[in-house]
Amino acid sequence: MSIKSGYFNKHLHVDLTKGTAEHQDISDAFLEKYIGGRGFGAKLVWDNLKKHDFRVDPLGPENLLVIAPGPLTGVYLPSSGKTSFAAISPATGLYGDSSMGGGFGVELRQTGVDVLSITGRAPELSVLFIDNGETTVLPTPELKEKSCLEAEGIIKERLGTYAIHVATIGVAGENMVNFACVNADWSRNAGRTGIGTIMGAKNLKAIVVRGHKDLPAHDVSGLMEEADKAYKYLKEHKYFSMWQQEGLMNIIEYANEKGILPVCNFKDTVFAKHNQINGATMLAHYKIGDSACFSCSMCCGNICLVKNGKYTGTIIEGPEYESCAMLGPNLGIDNFAAILSAIRLCDELGVDTISTGNIVGAVIEGYERGILSLSDLDGSEITWGDEDAILELIQKIADRQGIGNILADGSRRIIEKWPEMDKIILQVKGLEQSAYDSRAGITMGLGYATSDIGAHHTRAWTVAKEIEEGQNWSDDEKVGIVIYHQKVRPLFDMLGVCRLPWIELGLNERHYENFYKCVTGKEASLEQLLELSNDIYNLTRLINTRLGTTRKDDSLPYKVWANPPLTGPNVGKVIDQEDFQKLLSLYYQKRGWDEDGIPPTGLESKFED
Amino acid sequence: MSKKLMVIPEQCSGCRICELVCAIKHFGVNNPKKSAIKVLTIYPHPVVRMPIVCSQCKVPTCAQVCPVDALQRSDGVLQLDKENCISCYKCVDACPFGAIYVHEDYDLPIICDMCGGDPECVKKCPTGALRLIPESTLGEFKRLNNVLSYTQMKEIEFYEKGERKVIHYAEVGKEEL
Repeated sequence: MSIKSGYFNKHLHVDLTKGTAEHQDISDAFLEKYIGGRGFGAKLVWDNLKKHDFRVDPLGPENLLVIAPGPLTGVYLPSSGKTSFAAISPATGLYGDSSMGGGFGVELRQTGVDVLSITGRAPELSVLFIDNGETTVLPTPELKEKSCLEAEGIIKERLGTYAIHVATIGVAGENMVNFACVNADWSRNAGRTGIGTIMGAKNLKAIVVRGHKDLPAHDVSGLMEEADKAYKYLKEHKYFSMWQQEGLMNIIEYANEKGILPVCNFKDTVFAKHNQINGATMLAHYKIGDSACFSCSMCCGNICLVKNGKYTGTIIEGPEYESCAMLGPNLGIDNFAAILSAIRLCDELGVDTISTGNIVGAVIEGYERGILSLSDLDGSEITWGDEDAILELIQKIADRQGIGNILADGSRRIIEKWPEMDKIILQVKGLEQSAYDSRAGITMGLGYATSDIGAHHTRAWTVAKEIEEGQNWSDDEKVGIVIYHQKVRPLFDMLGVCRLPWIELGLNERHYENFYKCVTGKEASLEQLLELSNDIYNLTRLINTRLGTTRKDDSLPYKVWANPPLTGPNVGKVIDQEDFQKLLSLYYQKRGWDEDGIPPTGLESKFED
Repeated sequence: MSKKLMVIPEQCSGCRICELVCAIKHFGVNNPKKSAIKVLTIYPHPVVRMPIVCSQCKVPTCAQVCPVDALQRSDGVLQLDKENCISCYKCVDACPFGAIYVHEDYDLPIICDMCGGDPECVKKCPTGALRLIPESTLGEFKRLNNVLSYTQMKEIEFYEKGERKVIHYAEVGKEEL
């Protein structure tokens, strides 16, 4: 049975060099095979690579930026506001993608397209405006060096409407900082893998969307019934109101207790002053409101305001766990107001908080260890918890001033310039590591090492399970759970929905096969959908191996092998290189890749059409 | 007893579930743009997330400006006479709150009909920002909030069966009064 609905069957392709936009038809077979979101991203990036004989400069006009919501984006079901951004990443030089919540993807779909792809380079700083099917490229030199929010405001004023969604880059994107992000709806970011950098390289300051079209769905009343069941389950969950109140900030306490919180560039994993920066502190002194992505009842977003002291008036939508951990304990900052201020700065400049936190942390440790000299730091000292120096350094990265000019090129360039930094900076394949320590569990390490975009937890987040299980599980189970996560988590990115109702509140994955059926009219079991998701994982692996990834790249940061956490429940723990290699071989074997991690020849033909 | 759809902007998270369920209920489609309620989100100064929906005014300016009297109250709720409406959108302009909407697929103005007394948006709002309450109780929340934020309040923290509790009380006879 094939699909009956759920799509517009339209692909909008924009060439910024030529200033053209065309709607191309998409076949049902394509939609069934790639589903949407990251699936479309991987396929279109792959086609573009083949077209350019696998020579695509991430910052060149030929790099294709794919923005794809999924078939479930914007329809009535829990947390359906996600959209994926995919391209060849400037951070890794390999396949990269990042997803964004909020309402941007919903609005993009409502313009009547399933996927938007952008190639070329605009002659001057421009904005792409997609207005219910009509596409224009507006030159906007006045937006140069404007922060994400300022730019959004100016665009709304110029177009004379507030009822649009605007995805912008900040100064960091314009300056092609290697880890620039795309920002929409105040602080929803496609943060990782340098998607904002690519927009900067394309001279594209913002993508503006306004759409009024019905989102196609095969069985609206069936969907409503199924969605109501899911909403009801979430509402009755014992942690639901905690999620509404604290959101992802509740993980700070958990991470600290279990010893997976990054402290001082992952030197330690327990933070003495955790109760000054946790969810309870936020609730008691800073939170002034809730914030949710489209159709999400969990509203994990917080709105926080600093009401007194040096940072008075700082207001952000946030924080959440990653940003707070990376810019707080990871830099030795125990002042919650300063963390909020750093997050706001990152949002304004348009830099990824995870990469920024890693790089600033590495700089502080590098200076502490004498790898970086005072003159490397342009004469200004930086130490753990030095709020002013840290905020200044973040600004310098975005502006590419002094040492910022090197840091802005990301960890690979930093290691090239100061080889000793390889022992300090936590990155895999050039992407800096998320705020979950992998020394607590080898499966988390395996997840980082084999993630197709680098050291990010989006593909596999097995650390909680590992802590729960302890050592009492077999290698087979360990590899099995990593691969299962790498199937199911990307499936959410393909469908265009958020994974938090599943991973955090245990919403059964089976709901999603019903959602998919109601929207597309096609019957597909969860297992079949996971197989399609697995195909995409093979495709991104194919992209990466064609671009040079081999077994040696599926590795972990030096610290994970050599420097155990100083205190806490995981004190003294490192990942054993031999154990890891054994697990990696088993992982390849289970995936059907060879000993060097290369997928079988013949797999390419699967992605021909 | 007439009931009022009350909006508490402070509790709105901006998720727009209200928009979706309104459109599904009245048009049978997933399209938040076809709803009679919309969440207006403003940030960062000021931060506001406010669902805008018909207030069922007792003196409805929308009905007053209607040249063909297509807006009439029945069972306490303004109803659009779809036969007679001429789609001039005078009502859209006249509503002081902008709570009447227009969509390009549909000629008639889109106005809240209270779903026959059991509004879908109220049922599905996950944060309690939308409520259906008897008219006579309007203002209760404000009164309560006002009392709770009474400036002379002191607080005492104590533990009962291991659980942290706080008692608020006002000290009597203190000079600050």
